[in-house]
Amino acid sequence: MSWEEAINRVISHGIPRVYEILERHPYLPELASKLRKAREEVIKNLDHYVEMTMKSVQRTGGKAYIANDAKEAREIVGKIVGTGKRVVLGKSMVAFEIGLRKYLQSLGNEVWETDLGELLLQLTDDNPSHIIGPAIHMTKERVAKVLREKIGADVSESSTHEELVAAARKFLREKFLTADVGITGANAVAADTGSIVLVENEGNIRLSSSVPPVHISVTGVEKIVPTLEYAMIEALVQSAYWGLYPPTYVNLTSGPSSTADIEHKRVSPAHGPKEFHLVLIDNGRREIAKDPDLWEGLLCIRCGRCHLHCPVYRVLDGKFGAPPYSGPMGAMWAYFVYKDPKPATLCTHSGNCKDVCPMKINIPRVLERIKFRASKAGNGKA
Amino acid sequence: MYSRAGLASLREVLRDNLKKYGFPFPLNKAECHGWSDLPRSGKTLFYTSCMYQIATLTKSLSKFVGMADKLSAFGFVASKLIKPPKEDLERASRVLNKMVKLLKASGVNDLFYLYEDEPYSGAALLEMGYLDLFEEHAKSVYSFLKSRGIGRLITVDPHTHNALSRYREFVPGFDIEVLNVYEVIKEAKAVTQEELTIHDSCLYSRFLGLRENYRGLVTRAGLRIKEDFLITGKDNAFCCGYPIEAVDRDLSERIAELRAKSLKSLANRAIVVCPMCYAQLRDKVEVVDLMEVIE
Repeated sequence: MSWEEAINRVISHGIPRVYEILERHPYLPELASKLRKAREEVIKNLDHYVEMTMKSVQRTGGKAYIANDAKEAREIVGKIVGTGKRVVLGKSMVAFEIGLRKYLQSLGNEVWETDLGELLLQLTDDNPSHIIGPAIHMTKERVAKVLREKIGADVSESSTHEELVAAARKFLREKFLTADVGITGANAVAADTGSIVLVENEGNIRLSSSVPPVHISVTGVEKIVPTLEYAMIEALVQSAYWGLYPPTYVNLTSGPSSTADIEHKRVSPAHGPKEFHLVLIDNGRREIAKDPDLWEGLLCIRCGRCHLHCPVYRVLDGKFGAPPYSGPMGAMWAYFVYKDPKPATLCTHSGNCKDVCPMKINIPRVLERIKFRASKAGNGKA
Repeated sequence: MYSRAGLASLREVLRDNLKKYGFPFPLNKAECHGWSDLPRSGKTLFYTSCMYQIATLTKSLSKFVGMADKLSAFGFVASKLIKPPKEDLERASRVLNKMVKLLKASGVNDLFYLYEDEPYSGAALLEMGYLDLFEEHAKSVYSFLKSRGIGRLITVDPHTHNALSRYREFVPGFDIEVLNVYEVIKEAKAVTQEELTIHDSCLYSRFLGLRENYRGLVTRAGLRIKEDFLITGKDNAFCCGYPIEAVDRDLSERIAELRAKSLKSLANRAIVVCPMCYAQLRDKVEVVDLMEVIE
């Protein structure tokens, strides 16, 4: 089956479902617009909110770090993890952005992606084709082949979707239970409480963030929202606009596990992780936040809705953008974090992306500005 | 495939051609105005920017631009002037004259046209992201229009309307009233009862707030339109691929093919409201300009 057939199935399942969700729960667009205002406030005062967040994390008994670039971020996480450990990774595009999995492996750790899509990419050494559904380019038949050949799963091309998922579940369960470190991203970080919110359906993030004794969250500074209220809103909005609502799980983590069951004195750890680390990553974001032409792109909440409405994404076999950032948002983010303007030059300003974006980001306008910079840079006369 | 060097030389090609021919590619501008018998002066400028007249030439243009990496800009502009095919010019003439007729029927009685003096809008510069060149060009067009005492104009295609609508951002004090043909023409009659589908203009539909204008006209004229939410709905209908033709011709063609395929699943013929959509789609699905199915 071709990419065209695969993406057509995703579109015919996904697009109508988002409209149904928004119609059934009319508070969602209102929450989205409220969230945009709060996120604008953070982007415009990013340094202030980074500082507030770091203090709040420390107040909960966690540790917070700010990494200026990908290398610094890898090194911070590498020091926490050490060597000879088993690490489980919950789905994180930022971990991909900074090259975390391969770096931790190079330090002598055993590292497993635990999101099913990400696991498939790890097993095939492939790049994500969508910001939320990273392996949407793989057909069921291909998945069966990969699981059989790479992890010895007892599945075949005729296995059902359910049987394939069960095989992955069996393989990963033991990894969760024996991991030394769990690493996740964050959908949102609350500046006032230092909490992170993670939205998911598989349960792999819940396991990665609660079973291993150490939990590390790596995320971009733009994920900060002013308060915990907005962090929860972000989880709801993000899942709705990708068409999976209600999300099966919303995970809230504020510091390491704790209990106040003895004399209401809050002590840590209890049963969950003993350590919580939040690594906030800049990697170009703070510069973009100050850029009057481009800052709006930082409002992206990674719902991935724009992809399905973009003609360029549809015909480029999921390769529009720069991994892990794909589609219209990826064309912006390729420039933000890799300084790569090429994807932007392929924008046909079809304009669907800006209309379906829950944050109402004028993506074609941001891409137009990136095109302009690319033309000047290539010209050599700028 | 695109490259930075390619984009930079494309930029030079466009700049040089604009200087030399007043147009993004080597065109004898006499080709633009054969369709018209409008007066040379009046109050409301009928502004074509020569888009309908040359739309079908864009394929030839993109072939040249694809070689921009290898050809020096100078070598390219030195090649001979490009001429639109006769039948395409005749069709453009019918469409433009229909617009004039319907505008007059809507009460616009002071229309005029600039013939060989009509300037190019700069749309390609804007859409390719050459914003500095666009600004320079927009300023010169504005001074020219002012020197002719023009206070109001009517655009007839989405790319020109988009460019002119954005002059305000680039030209301080821009004060010419910019109307679009679909803001003015309110009534017409269908000339066919065949069930058609519609391919919307991205710019009219999602950037310029004109979707309901031409769609309202379609409905009031009594045209029968087959729709599908996933193909012709506002969020889901998509581009014909034209705007990136000069950057990546193959990608542009693949988008056009995908678009044509989905339109064909709805009807044998699709209405378009943009000459570029027409040129881009016509060899893949039968398309007609809205002006060809109303009177």
